[in-house]
Amino acid sequence: MRRGSIASLLGIGIVAGGIAAAVALAIPWLPVSASKEAGRIDFVFWFVVTICIVVFAVVAAVMLYSIVRFRAAPDDDSDGPPIHGHTGLEITWTLIPTVLVTAIGITSAIVLSRNDALAKNTLRINVIAQQFTWTFKYPSGLTSASLMLPNEREVQLRFQSKDVIHAFFVPQFRENEDIVPGLITSINVTPTRIGTYPVICNELCGLGHSTMRSTAVVMAPAAFDKWLKSQSKAVTSPSAGTAGAAIFKNNGCGACHTLTAAGTTGKVGPDLDKLPAEAQQAGQPLASFVHTSIVDPNAYIQPGYPKNVMPQTFGKALSTQQLDALVTYLTTSSGK
Amino acid sequence: MTTATLDHHDLTAPTGGGGNTVRRLLLGAGFIRAAWMFCLFGAIGFGLVVVFRWWGGWHPLFDMQPITLVSLLVAGPLGFLAGIGAFDYWTYYALGFPTRAEDHSGHGARSWRDYFRVNTDHKVIGVQYLVTTIFFFIVGGFLAMLVRVQLARPNSHFFDPQTYNGLFSVHASLMIFLFVIPAFAGLANFVVPLMLGAPDMAFPRLNALSFWLLPIAGIMMLSSFIVPGGAFACGWTGYAPLCSSHQPLGAIFFNQGVQWAGASSIMTALNFLVTIITMRAPGLTFWRMPLLVWANFTTSLLVVIATPFIAGSQFFSMFDHVMHTSFFNTSGGGYPLGYQHIFWFYSHPAVYIMMLPGFGIVSEVISVFSRKPIFGYRLMALSLMAIVVLGFSVWAHHMFTSGMSSWLRVPMMVTTLLIAVPTGIKIFSWLATMWEGKLHFNTPMLFALGFISMFVIGGLSGIMLGAVPIDIHVTDTYFVVAHLHYVLFGGSVFTIFAGIYYWYPKMTGRMYDERLGKLHFWLTFVGFNLTFFPMHIIGTEGMPRRVAEYAPKFASMNMFISLASFGLGASVLVFLYNVITSWKNGPIAPSNPWRALTLEWQVTSPPPIFNFDQIPQVVGSPYEYGVPGAQHAVLAPSPTHEVEEVAAP
Repeated sequence: MRRGSIASLLGIGIVAGGIAAAVALAIPWLPVSASKEAGRIDFVFWFVVTICIVVFAVVAAVMLYSIVRFRAAPDDDSDGPPIHGHTGLEITWTLIPTVLVTAIGITSAIVLSRNDALAKNTLRINVIAQQFTWTFKYPSGLTSASLMLPNEREVQLRFQSKDVIHAFFVPQFRENEDIVPGLITSINVTPTRIGTYPVICNELCGLGHSTMRSTAVVMAPAAFDKWLKSQSKAVTSPSAGTAGAAIFKNNGCGACHTLTAAGTTGKVGPDLDKLPAEAQQAGQPLASFVHTSIVDPNAYIQPGYPKNVMPQTFGKALSTQQLDALVTYLTTSSGK
Repeated sequence: MTTATLDHHDLTAPTGGGGNTVRRLLLGAGFIRAAWMFCLFGAIGFGLVVVFRWWGGWHPLFDMQPITLVSLLVAGPLGFLAGIGAFDYWTYYALGFPTRAEDHSGHGARSWRDYFRVNTDHKVIGVQYLVTTIFFFIVGGFLAMLVRVQLARPNSHFFDPQTYNGLFSVHASLMIFLFVIPAFAGLANFVVPLMLGAPDMAFPRLNALSFWLLPIAGIMMLSSFIVPGGAFACGWTGYAPLCSSHQPLGAIFFNQGVQWAGASSIMTALNFLVTIITMRAPGLTFWRMPLLVWANFTTSLLVVIATPFIAGSQFFSMFDHVMHTSFFNTSGGGYPLGYQHIFWFYSHPAVYIMMLPGFGIVSEVISVFSRKPIFGYRLMALSLMAIVVLGFSVWAHHMFTSGMSSWLRVPMMVTTLLIAVPTGIKIFSWLATMWEGKLHFNTPMLFALGFISMFVIGGLSGIMLGAVPIDIHVTDTYFVVAHLHYVLFGGSVFTIFAGIYYWYPKMTGRMYDERLGKLHFWLTFVGFNLTFFPMHIIGTEGMPRRVAEYAPKFASMNMFISLASFGLGASVLVFLYNVITSWKNGPIAPSNPWRALTLEWQVTSPPPIFNFDQIPQVVGSPYEYGVPGAQHAVLAPSPTHEVEEVAAP
């Protein structure tokens, strides 16, 4: 190889690598990092990206150089030199990638074991997923529709599913874990940044999959303790007027149903603002129609909606008082 | 035309006298017999189910699920195959009728009608495969554009959730099972026997049957849209228990469609293996085989070993759905992750089933258009074998966050990362083949170079996904969608286009329009990158895949992707216009327009009906470009050919 061609190869390689590096740095690839685990994962991400940019630059340089330099003239029918191979070169491009991927493997394994290690003072929260809602259960017995977390304390989330496979995903935590019926899976998160982040279902779980969302709220430890106390009080003495609205919200009804009074706009199931009209269509009195539709959803299916989409578990999950409160709430607030 | 100009089509039909056209139409193999036999077999299937349910005292007597399964998805298609004539020879033989001496009436194509019947000529079957798969490519692409219509805005309700989930599920199933895998099988069907110096495949009737299973699978998957309850809507991966017990009737159309396509794939692969092992021309040792043959040999090994696993997974899932078994149903003691393990034990090797034939095509194209021998031929062949072996040890990298035993993650990560090594060897060897060559940038070469550049990006994002900590963040996001399209579109589809343009003169006897070919390449290349590159960004930022609605912050990016995808879709029109008009009016192709050394270019375009008048004698490597006086094979000159250009050695 002549010296000139080495120089131009290097030049093209540096330009190609520079463009790739610029793309990597100029675009905000990752969302803010809000957990200790996220910091480690980001390290692996940028470590691997760096290696990828180098490999990409080498390939791009050789290819672009060849395209420009070795283009045959239209009337050139001659053949190239009959080079069949070069053992040294072939060993080199077998060994170097092997070393690189081994380095990636070791780094990843170390980060994985650090992220899986459990601290002593861990807060355990049970997460129950079902089509298409989230419930978070705290050690005190408290349940919540959104995930409240104290800052700077390791939390172990233990997942259970009531029906199909779901997945828990908070991009800012860089955490993703499937929730499988019949298994208890878990992940560890140590929040490091106060704020509100989306909780996303990240495994196709049915027609309401896109709307199976909740929020994770990271708060200062003191604020978290205060929230725990205030909620425990609320559980023991629910005020009658807001109980129905709270049940509606905590069970995630709004993920699939539109109800103006609750500010929800779900389109998977029938519009609850039109309940009186729908009850009339079904030929049933409003209150019993609403009650039956929650307890036994397949009893009457509104035309245009498929069967077996609404979970059939609410009849068991809700107490009689809760059911009554929910029915009252729905019948009084429908269409308002 | 060549020696085999006998025209005995009528011999296959039981002809009576001159006035028996009606009888011949009804009873002779063809679409009319296929139609009534489909109905007859369907009715028998229906009757069987009802009689057994009545006998067993099961209620209700008319249960739609088993009836649809047995009558419409199993018995009916068998009737169609019998009617079209796929079983004729074997049936006559099995029933003890005198078997007719082989008259080659079912062989070769003399008019366009011969492409619409059971034909045992590997060249006709190759074209049948390609035309069918391109049809499903267009349908699948159209479905993808409908998905992009829904995703153009964050909260649009253009489609209801059932239809939307059905759109992306059927899109993926068609592209994988009805386009990429069989399109490669089609190209190989045409080319491999020619490259081997063989007159046909080892089992021509099995070959014909393999083809006719495909339209059944495609129509089955597509027709799930008109089934009551809607199309299967659980993604092409069909995870249990969502797909096995929470889906409408359409789900079993997917389960069974996969069975028909899988059976087709297995039969073809067996056929390739036997053909390659036993029918190589004298002198064509394994180490003299063109890399395309090597690629199809290794692919066929993967297909034969792996495909039965997806068949198993779909049978179990279908049993859970229709017969209420509990393979994956936890309340009956089933294990949902079992589905994923069995499914990915096929579906990861399937990624290489969709990749290795493309490697073979690119090796041919790069060597011919660089006018140089392939660099490191033996290592190229060995790296294919290495991918086959390693490919079976990486399946659980699709399941890093699935809740499987956590210790499994590190070993699966190591094998996944190691598979980058043989893949890297191939990329570097192609680059070295180009080095100091005499590069000609015809359309096949452009697609091959486009493939290398896109596949490098897809491979590098694959290494990122292989590292468990990164995968934990980006799994099931648009980053994965971007990665898989860089591998399967930038990888497989680009190589399919390279192969179609490269062998177009051989298949049709006409040259395609080079300017339109180049235009098609640039539109595809630019459209592809504009569509799929931004998906990396929204993926790492946390936009999940398989959703119909998404956070407003991704809105502008998604609108951009949707617009680009419509442009990418439109680029296919250029391809269609080119191949259709050139087939009719293109300039007549010489037998060896690319001055290639492999055997298929040493016969006329299109090749004579039995390929070679005399079996060629192979004397050297197929890639000796630039070696003075080198020859791959010696062909006996044939007196029956009108014009025979022998490659200038």
